[in-house]
Amino acid sequence: MHKFLAILKKEVLLLLRDPSGLAILFLMPMTLVFIMTLIQESTFNTLNEAGIPIVLVDNDKDSLGASVIFGLSNTKACVLTTVLDGKPATVESAEKAVAEGKFMIGIVIPAGATKAIRSNVRSLVEQTLADSTVDLSSIPPVKHDTVEISMFIDPVTKRSFINATTSALREFISQIKSKIIFTTFSEEIEKIIPGKNKATPADIDIVRYREEYAAKDKSFILPNSVQHNVPAWTIFGMFFIVVPLAGSILKEKTEGTSFRLRSLPGNYVTIISGKVSVYVMVCMIQFVLMMCVGVFIIPLLGLPALQLGSSHPGIIAIALSTAIAASGFGVMIGTFATTDHQSAISGSLSIVLFSAIGGIWVPPYVMPSIMQQLSSISPLNWGLNAFYELFLRGAGLMDVWQQSFKLIIFFFLTVLTAHLYNQLKKS
Amino acid sequence: MGGNTIIEIINLEKHYKGAADAAVKNLSLIINKDEIFGILGPNGAGKTTTISMLCGIFAPTNGKIIVDGLTFEDNREDIKKIIGVVPQDMALYPTLTARENLSFFGHLLGLHGKALKERINYCLQLFGLEKNADIRVSKFSGGMKRRVNLIAGILHKPKILFLDEPTVGIDVQSRNVIREFLNDLNRTGTTIIYTSHHLEEAETFCTRVAIIDNGQIITLGTPLELIKSHGGANSLEDVFLQITGIKLRDLNYA
Repeated sequence: MHKFLAILKKEVLLLLRDPSGLAILFLMPMTLVFIMTLIQESTFNTLNEAGIPIVLVDNDKDSLGASVIFGLSNTKACVLTTVLDGKPATVESAEKAVAEGKFMIGIVIPAGATKAIRSNVRSLVEQTLADSTVDLSSIPPVKHDTVEISMFIDPVTKRSFINATTSALREFISQIKSKIIFTTFSEEIEKIIPGKNKATPADIDIVRYREEYAAKDKSFILPNSVQHNVPAWTIFGMFFIVVPLAGSILKEKTEGTSFRLRSLPGNYVTIISGKVSVYVMVCMIQFVLMMCVGVFIIPLLGLPALQLGSSHPGIIAIALSTAIAASGFGVMIGTFATTDHQSAISGSLSIVLFSAIGGIWVPPYVMPSIMQQLSSISPLNWGLNAFYELFLRGAGLMDVWQQSFKLIIFFFLTVLTAHLYNQLKKS
Repeated sequence: MGGNTIIEIINLEKHYKGAADAAVKNLSLIINKDEIFGILGPNGAGKTTTISMLCGIFAPTNGKIIVDGLTFEDNREDIKKIIGVVPQDMALYPTLTARENLSFFGHLLGLHGKALKERINYCLQLFGLEKNADIRVSKFSGGMKRRVNLIAGILHKPKILFLDEPTVGIDVQSRNVIREFLNDLNRTGTTIIYTSHHLEEAETFCTRVAIIDNGQIITLGTPLELIKSHGGANSLEDVFLQITGIKLRDLNYA
């Protein structure tokens, strides 16, 4: 126990004697969480709150154009403009504005679009309601007028934005078509049975949507970018403990203290557990600070505060397991490395790779299937999934024990690998 | 193992992976209690490898090492408790003070509490470092660092002390202090095993020396015996040059 405490004291002193290093150790992960959450929030806003900038050319001047303008103006997903430089947008001016990056998407509703829809619908209705005694095959097929809505797209626009706009357009066109069909049918029925048709097109809006988030307990946490990003970047920041820990191990090798330590009584487990304990403590302090950023600092900028869910034991278990796994990885990198460059580059690059695979940058469900399978081997993915369970699905300690167990196993595997490597070198 | 033997080395061999030649070949040696035994040789002769195996840092490929009747295979921890190691590199934490360094290594050597404090104070005073005990080692001169490095190896009063170039790169005053201390330590029963390139120092300091080259012992005896047995030699340095040649020796990294 004396030895273990002496190692703890030595590691703490070494950290305290490097105040700038210590400040970086705590400030950098906090800054990372803060900046990344803000960046991701603004990306999220572009689609959901700030809106996609769209310019619309209404050459139709009828129901379809009016319906699309009304619909796009009333959705938060876009910011609609129909006037450029004080004049109604034309095809040429809209295309130019999109090409210059002033708008992400330009939409052109062609002249006579509504008229064409009406004409097509009327032909179809008339055909449907034709006298049953007439041989339908004798009637020549109706010639449909095609309505083509053009879209100009800025090449930098994300596919998801284009899909969202196309989807909204389809919805508005579908609505206007339904109204025209309904009106035409009503007019034709009025001709056959006068005074019997009292319905209005508004009556056909009978299907509604209700969104509800599924959670494992009754506590309701609103999913938002803060709930997604703070845990993700916290795990990323915690894993960066690999760099100073590996550096500390390497320093002992290059400065000769490792040689003396190996000649002293005491085993590898005592020496490494003392070092790991201190870095796990540092990691836990980092975690608390990063959570504080989510709960207290981020709301100061108008973003929602991080909600920690209902299972504090679950959070502590996953944070501790993540800290232990990250420290084990640091021990392995520090043991293998022979120079500062090797240690710093391999440590930081491997974390970036693990985080990319693990879904920190991009959610695994948007990755190709091979990458989705690979993501399950990343310890950052285990930690992230566990935090999502706790922060978004209202899970408890028992729901995340498997992820915690995997992280602890990862620690033992990395430390065992480092130990075997040392033994191999010794022999 | 005889009654006066403290270290017995039997057919010791060390092959490093990928190296064409063995670093230590069939080395057998007996070191007696209370000796100041010098292991001398040119660069790459196998001195550090031999010392590292004697300290239990590297395992030999073949052969056996018996330390005070114990073997590393069966009694690694017991052996480590009775040996002290003073490496050539300053094996200290530069950002810790001398006292903090010594306290840390003292704890790992099994000392603690009042006994450790008193031992540290005694050694610091002995080496003239008591006034600078609470200053970071990074601010020390080379000689001061060497003295702290030495104290860290003798805090637990080891039976056997391994010294790798203990006086390299320091001033005459520091060297004298260290030499006098080591002689006193030896007089109180500590066996000293010493490696150095400083042959003049080895000639006056060591009771017996082994000159090794290419991983093998070339000659063994007291400095005086070796000088007498090599015609025309007036010093240990002459003997050394006669045996190992005058060609430059660089480490073979191939």
